[in-house]
Amino acid sequence: MKHLLRQIFRSGKFVVGFVIFMAIVLTTLIYPIFVTDPPLEIISRGTFLPPGVYVNVYDSIGGVEHYNLVLDDAASRRIANQLSDDDRLAMQEWLIGNEVPESEIDITDTAALLELWTNNFDPTVRLPGMTNADRNYYIRLNSRLDGLLDTEGVVIAEMNEESGQLTEDYVIEQNIYVNVGELPNIRWLPLGTDNFGRDVLNELVTATRVSLNIGLVAGVVATIIGLALGMISGYIGGVVDDLIVFITNLFTVIPGFVLLILISFSIGQEQRGAFTIAVVIGLTSWVWTARAVRAQVISLRNRDHVNLSKLSGHSTIHILATDIFPYIASYVVMALILQISSGILAEAGLSILGLGPRTTDVPTLGLMMNWSMIYQAHISGYWWAYFPVILVIALISFSMNLMNTGLDQVFNPALRD
Amino acid sequence: MTNIVLDVDELTTKYITRFREDIYAVDHVSLQVEEGRAVGIAGESGCGKSTLALSLMGYYFPPLHYSSGEIVIDGQNITEMHPEHVRKTILGNEIAYIPQAAMNALNPTMKVINFIEDVIHAHHPRMPKKEIYELAVERFQLLGLPPEVLQKYSVELSGGMKQRTVIATSVILSPKVLIADEPSSALDVTSQKMVIKMLKDLMDKGIVKAMIFITHELPLLYHVVDDIMVMYAGQIVEKGTVDEVIFDPIHPYSRALMGSIIVPEEGLRDVKLTAVPGTPPNLKNPPSGCRFAARCKYAMPACRATSVELEDIGGGRSYRCIIPEDELRKAYEREDKER
Amino acid sequence: MKKYRNYFVNKLGWFLVTLVAAFVLNFILPRLMPGDPVAAIVARLAQGQSNATGVQAVYEQYTELFGTNKPMWEQFIIYVRNVFRGDFGYSISQYPRTVADVISSSLWWTVALQFPAIIVGWILGNTLGALAAYLKGNFDRILLPISIFLSNVPAFGMAVVLLVIFAVNMDIFPTSGGYGHDMIPNPSLEFVWSVIVHYQLPFWSIVIITIGGQAIGMRSMAIYELNADYVKYARFLGIKDRKIIGYVFRNAMLPQITGLALSIGTMISGALVAEIIFSYPGLGTTILSAVLGGDYPLISATTLIITIMVLVAFFALEIFYGLIDPRIRAAQSD
Repeated sequence: MKHLLRQIFRSGKFVVGFVIFMAIVLTTLIYPIFVTDPPLEIISRGTFLPPGVYVNVYDSIGGVEHYNLVLDDAASRRIANQLSDDDRLAMQEWLIGNEVPESEIDITDTAALLELWTNNFDPTVRLPGMTNADRNYYIRLNSRLDGLLDTEGVVIAEMNEESGQLTEDYVIEQNIYVNVGELPNIRWLPLGTDNFGRDVLNELVTATRVSLNIGLVAGVVATIIGLALGMISGYIGGVVDDLIVFITNLFTVIPGFVLLILISFSIGQEQRGAFTIAVVIGLTSWVWTARAVRAQVISLRNRDHVNLSKLSGHSTIHILATDIFPYIASYVVMALILQISSGILAEAGLSILGLGPRTTDVPTLGLMMNWSMIYQAHISGYWWAYFPVILVIALISFSMNLMNTGLDQVFNPALRD
Repeated sequence: MTNIVLDVDELTTKYITRFREDIYAVDHVSLQVEEGRAVGIAGESGCGKSTLALSLMGYYFPPLHYSSGEIVIDGQNITEMHPEHVRKTILGNEIAYIPQAAMNALNPTMKVINFIEDVIHAHHPRMPKKEIYELAVERFQLLGLPPEVLQKYSVELSGGMKQRTVIATSVILSPKVLIADEPSSALDVTSQKMVIKMLKDLMDKGIVKAMIFITHELPLLYHVVDDIMVMYAGQIVEKGTVDEVIFDPIHPYSRALMGSIIVPEEGLRDVKLTAVPGTPPNLKNPPSGCRFAARCKYAMPACRATSVELEDIGGGRSYRCIIPEDELRKAYEREDKER
Repeated sequence: MKKYRNYFVNKLGWFLVTLVAAFVLNFILPRLMPGDPVAAIVARLAQGQSNATGVQAVYEQYTELFGTNKPMWEQFIIYVRNVFRGDFGYSISQYPRTVADVISSSLWWTVALQFPAIIVGWILGNTLGALAAYLKGNFDRILLPISIFLSNVPAFGMAVVLLVIFAVNMDIFPTSGGYGHDMIPNPSLEFVWSVIVHYQLPFWSIVIITIGGQAIGMRSMAIYELNADYVKYARFLGIKDRKIIGYVFRNAMLPQITGLALSIGTMISGALVAEIIFSYPGLGTTILSAVLGGDYPLISATTLIITIMVLVAFFALEIFYGLIDPRIRAAQSD
């Protein structure tokens, strides 16, 4: 056994797959220890906040220390943030179209460009070839540019509750900085929020854990059924074998996924917990394992040690357990890995159709995909809502597949390249 | 004056491993086969017999590579030919090969006749199918195979039938030299007999002019071949006629090999049974002296010192050992008496 | 030919048996589940209705409609008879359209998309896999990791990736639908072109995924066959490499076709989900909207149609295999 383990871990493919897989599993286990927020807690109003570090503005104005930093490029950065190169070119285009001579326009000189712009811009003018969308763009651009070159600070005023009058409290100059480390309220959202306003990273970690669980349960169920049927039909043979083979062939052709849809829908929303779905997936995907196990058992049943056992009068179950099972154990392990992997994919597919586990309890990878699809994240460019999910699914599938190929090469030396 | 059909001179071929090491599996082998003679190559597993068979074809597939030496078939020096020319004119045409485990040598999804058509078309692209069919039928009947076989797929034939079909296919173009690599090892006794008969027929009817028969089953050689060459660790260690080598072996390895047969055949009963202890040397680093020295009963320090040449002692016999012939014979006599 | 006839009859028999089983399963499974589907439907429909008798009336009407008040076997006969008449009942979510109407409009979109895509993907994948096995070297070294990676991306994943890259970012292809939103199906060139354009991304996502899976399998098969004894033997008899490659690929293809048949169910399932990503007007989107609308009759009919589709594809492949594997057509041996 130890020798076998050593051989397994020497297989490059297995190790790589194993490492990736364990990294994912460990992340799902360790992350919640450090981040205890419930995954489905809504933390933002507004949908699909992009990833980034979110700093509380109220705190930066008020309660923390203000520092003065004089940095040369602060002003030009501020301007560049609002006025991209494309914007400058657009402005130039507009100005030329409005009969400002090209020689007078220098898009690199911000001040001059802005002056020309302020002097010439007229929101009502419609240049030839300009669509409504273009015109709106210019109007928006114009309002963005308002006050871009100001060097005065922003006034924070206090409102007198009775008179409604504003009195100046203090001014925030352009060179005031706060130390982010001193702010009481910052939230890092590496993957932004989803359509409901939930922390995607948090959700993703939990969803991965749930999906892995579902895959595990589904895989175990499918493997047990497949193993039992395969062993029985392979060993006993005869009518029992014919019957089981008949059923297996039937379920080979009738797609398990379709049955899954049917069963899942018929169960109804209330009954669809994660565990139930996992069992159902297991119940519809045992076919491949059963077939593989049966083939193995058939080749084993006439071996000498089995015949010896039969002569010794051991019961069928005893023979199956002690003489047959150890020889197919390697196949069973590989089958289990494959079933887990396909179980996760099946759950994802189901959830995208809306037939996955209940949506109020816990997220699953498929559910996250479902939400982002329904809310059109992929079309609006909110990549953080779906791309990490796909990546995780692909990685899980990939790492398990690698492990399996590695194991296959260990158990089956003929395949070593 | 008998014609030498196959003349091999100092042929050396090597395997190049994944780690770029050279393993000389066939080391300066020379042999000659006269017209009408069959030569057997005997030796234990791993001595290089099969590699020799492949090497004699003149066409090399990686990891096997040609190193040096000459192969001349009926006057044609094939080692100097361009590989494409070898493929077109020599392979199957002048020299043919029957592989080990011939049952798998047939394409499972082709009818025998279609495969034969492909073989013939590779050398005579314009021969019409009708003519090919007639040739095949005639040849098969000549060799005792029913022509119905031609229309069958290999999965429909028994093991023995498959082997004989492969043999018949290999010689369909009547090559001058036939190399048979363990043609009957995987068969039951009845099929074995049929295969042997077929091979002999090929020689008797003049379909092939010379044959090289490779096997580790020595009793078989006695019935089939005229001469025997004993091979060890990539080198030929003894040559002679079949009677000479089996009943009067000179080289210690030949003697040990012959002593390990269990056959209740007339004349062979007197040969005592001996096992050959030890294993052949690793050809990655062949020992500098005699390669058999490590397992040889009669080895002396001088044996390991310098490499030993094949010494011709006249009458077509030769052996590779520094100990003189009569000394070895005396030692053998002494041993036989002690039993 | 006799052997093939036996083969054909055998397969046909299987087809019929499986068809019956599909019908039975499709009928029984929903009815075995806890909960009364009719009650669930009625509950959804009656939301907002406070009139108890009104709800009761609706319930009774639907019970009559679905025949849930009759014994099971009688229901089954009615069910089968209806199916063969093409009557699947009324769609709940798209009332007053009939289910047959809904399905017939989306069925052909799916068939037109998936079958060519799977076939093209299969051909390309197997060719690439075979080339990788034969050419070895750098071609293989590049192809293998890509194929391994692709075979692990689920179909919908590839769909999303292609959608984002080509439709959203590069704006070359449309993001959804089977044809332009402002068009009504008509046999004009403009419409046909719009269909073709909308067809590209769903088509290629299925193709690419299929290539990934097939390439790996074919590569292994081809490597195995290239090292087979008959290859070496044929070479030693002087047969040209080109001919031998023909042998190898013919032999390696046969198990690939069997493999395709076995996995066609999974492929189609995956492709259906991919359709949803593109809001492609095929069966995938039909299921999605049926689920969202709690439309039991539509779902039941769609699953039946999909099962039959897979069945037909499977058996078509088996028949095809029988035609091209010469051993099956061989005359009876004595």
